[in-house]
Amino acid sequence: MNIHEYQAKQLFKSRGVPVPDGGAATTEREARELLKEHGPDVVIKAQVHAGGRGKGRVVKRDRASRMYNDLRREPERYEGQISGRRRGGVRLASGVEEALKEFRPFMDKDSRLVSVQTGPEGAPISAVLIEKQTSIAKEYYFSIQVDGANGQPLIVASAEGGQSIEEVNKTNPRAVLRIPVDPTEGFPSFRGRSLASQLGLPSSAIRPAGDMFANLYRVFTEMDASLVEVNPFVLTANGAVVAIDGKVGLDDNASFRHGGYEEWRDRSQENPTEIEAEEANIGSYIKLDGDIGCVVNGAGLAMATMDTLKLHGGEPANFLDIGTVNRKDRVIEALRIIVNDPDVKAIFINIFGGLARVDIVAEGVVDAVRELEIQQPLVVRLNGSNVEEGRRVLHDSGIDVQTADELGDAAELAVNAARSGKRRSRVTN
Amino acid sequence: MSILLNNRTRLLIQGLGNEGQNQIRRSLDYGTKVVAGVHPGFRGGDSFAYGNHSFPVFTTVTEAVEQTQANCTIIYVPAPGAADAILENIAAEVPLIVCITEGVPVHDMIRVRTALANSKSKLIGPNCPGIIQPASQCRVGIHPPDVFMAGNVGVVSRSGTLVYEAVDQLTRAGIGQSTCVGVGGDPIIGEQQQAILRRFQSDPDTDAVVLIGEIGGLAEQAAAAYIKRSMTKPVVAFIAGATAPPGRRMGHAGAIIEGEAGTAEAKLAALEAAGAVISRSPAEIGSTMRRVLEEHGKYQLPGSVD
Repeated sequence: MNIHEYQAKQLFKSRGVPVPDGGAATTEREARELLKEHGPDVVIKAQVHAGGRGKGRVVKRDRASRMYNDLRREPERYEGQISGRRRGGVRLASGVEEALKEFRPFMDKDSRLVSVQTGPEGAPISAVLIEKQTSIAKEYYFSIQVDGANGQPLIVASAEGGQSIEEVNKTNPRAVLRIPVDPTEGFPSFRGRSLASQLGLPSSAIRPAGDMFANLYRVFTEMDASLVEVNPFVLTANGAVVAIDGKVGLDDNASFRHGGYEEWRDRSQENPTEIEAEEANIGSYIKLDGDIGCVVNGAGLAMATMDTLKLHGGEPANFLDIGTVNRKDRVIEALRIIVNDPDVKAIFINIFGGLARVDIVAEGVVDAVRELEIQQPLVVRLNGSNVEEGRRVLHDSGIDVQTADELGDAAELAVNAARSGKRRSRVTN
Repeated sequence: MSILLNNRTRLLIQGLGNEGQNQIRRSLDYGTKVVAGVHPGFRGGDSFAYGNHSFPVFTTVTEAVEQTQANCTIIYVPAPGAADAILENIAAEVPLIVCITEGVPVHDMIRVRTALANSKSKLIGPNCPGIIQPASQCRVGIHPPDVFMAGNVGVVSRSGTLVYEAVDQLTRAGIGQSTCVGVGGDPIIGEQQQAILRRFQSDPDTDAVVLIGEIGGLAEQAAAAYIKRSMTKPVVAFIAGATAPPGRRMGHAGAIIEGEAGTAEAKLAALEAAGAVISRSPAEIGSTMRRVLEEHGKYQLPGSVD
């Protein structure tokens, strides 16, 4: 789960990581207060979960899609402009009135921030972070992530901050430091000071930078984070270190230890259908561009099902891992989501039961066809636990479905069904 | 008798909730030797009975191992307590631990991996279907038993349902399996594909291996490096997610495309360069393996394996 920059900075500040003075505003009144306190020279930053914000654009909702296509076609035209006429989601301003002029379009309900990562709808702006400008002498990169192969936290740092670390890694890999962390030791300040020295920070900044790294590591462990990234942290003209940006990813699996992360979650940044799927306890749903609605158990099989459809010339309308099905209402909920997607021309149900019982899935499919009055042609492929009962349930119900035992055959049926554009015949009993 | 399990495997089940009970009944039906349960405050009292089978239920793993000489544990404990259960088995020096549980926090798994590093235990999972070995009727997991058949092909996969899919195709093509291992879909797991390949390479009962990977992470590249360096047995590989849009997380926490290395293309290229035979379509894993076995003179008619 992602959180906003202003929330990441709250986590930083509460653990002694220096951040610029400032705060988040959603109303003009709040903005005015912040500007009086921290102005006149401020930076104002749109709060959205998508990346690429500085190189994005704030536009009216009805222009979002066109802007998205422009950005994808000519990204260099929008490269990092924070002042001037064509500006993104991060802007500089001087004085209350000028800042409010920048603030207003951000908080307009009709505005969307569009970047190459937001998709054609753009992202609604949840709040605006207003901060005192920092006088920057040099920018650095710092992050903590999980190294799956080694089963340890990994710190990545570079003296070439403020740009994409992937890019630095490509052009100058020696400028990227990788430091595996012994999790029993953690990352105490002395390790941080050693890193600060490797990064070439001046001697007066070694101690505060070391403490900053150690405190960022505390954010990582105490919050069950999967990522803590500061790009950049800067050395100021006065020789201090400050985290001027911040990104924190939280581990959804650990939410039970943190009250569901409710205080950090912003549902307005999530896809409404994906929220609906989550509330119906469906493992995972992601909307895609095609026309074949998929209901599959297991993430691996769900991806393989999409792959098979594509190899047969079809396009999946979604990724859906239904999870372990031991109740038929979950099948009905999954099919409700699929049926409500106007792009879906055919439905492909592919279930290979292990923990999941295929007969329960079959009962769910039969009930869903009747309850949801499904119009689209339906291809069902069942295999695994209780498969004989499952196939019998489908057969005895008399509903109009096409079935196949093997994945390739089933995928072909689904592709043909989507192409034919036919509707299902009515229920026969 | 192939890898990880054999007919001396004495299974301990930890977590006798509804799902654990259902699954252990199916393992007992399959012929697996279950010697103990661990479930503090088990409602069934101090033993679990099913048909002609029964085994004692203990409060702690140490006690269960002392009393029953269990040498393998299957964990069905829910996510908040799963890492603790793994740590308990490491402390009790259980040689093989298999954790089915989905949704274990990644920071918990960091602790587990640290404990494993200096231990006598090996871990498979979490977030996996477990291990099944048809010839010794050993089912340590959640597999649908009917699709499996004893034979000479090993299967290793990150995804659970893709183990079933691949095995179903193998069995239909008349190809039995030596051992099938689902290593798990999480970013941090116990044994990775590469370690399982090494076991298959030195296993006299395995003549060829199906390797099923997915997008994200670098585990398939490590597997490819091992194949290139040391593997003489043929490997048929499939990578799920070739058509997944970049940057979106597809269910498995491990399956995020991180840069170029995480893509299906990069993984397939590495595996192909290492000499693996690629099945582009997930529907052709069985037929590809049949062709490969025939080329190597290792295709056995069904029923010819004891």
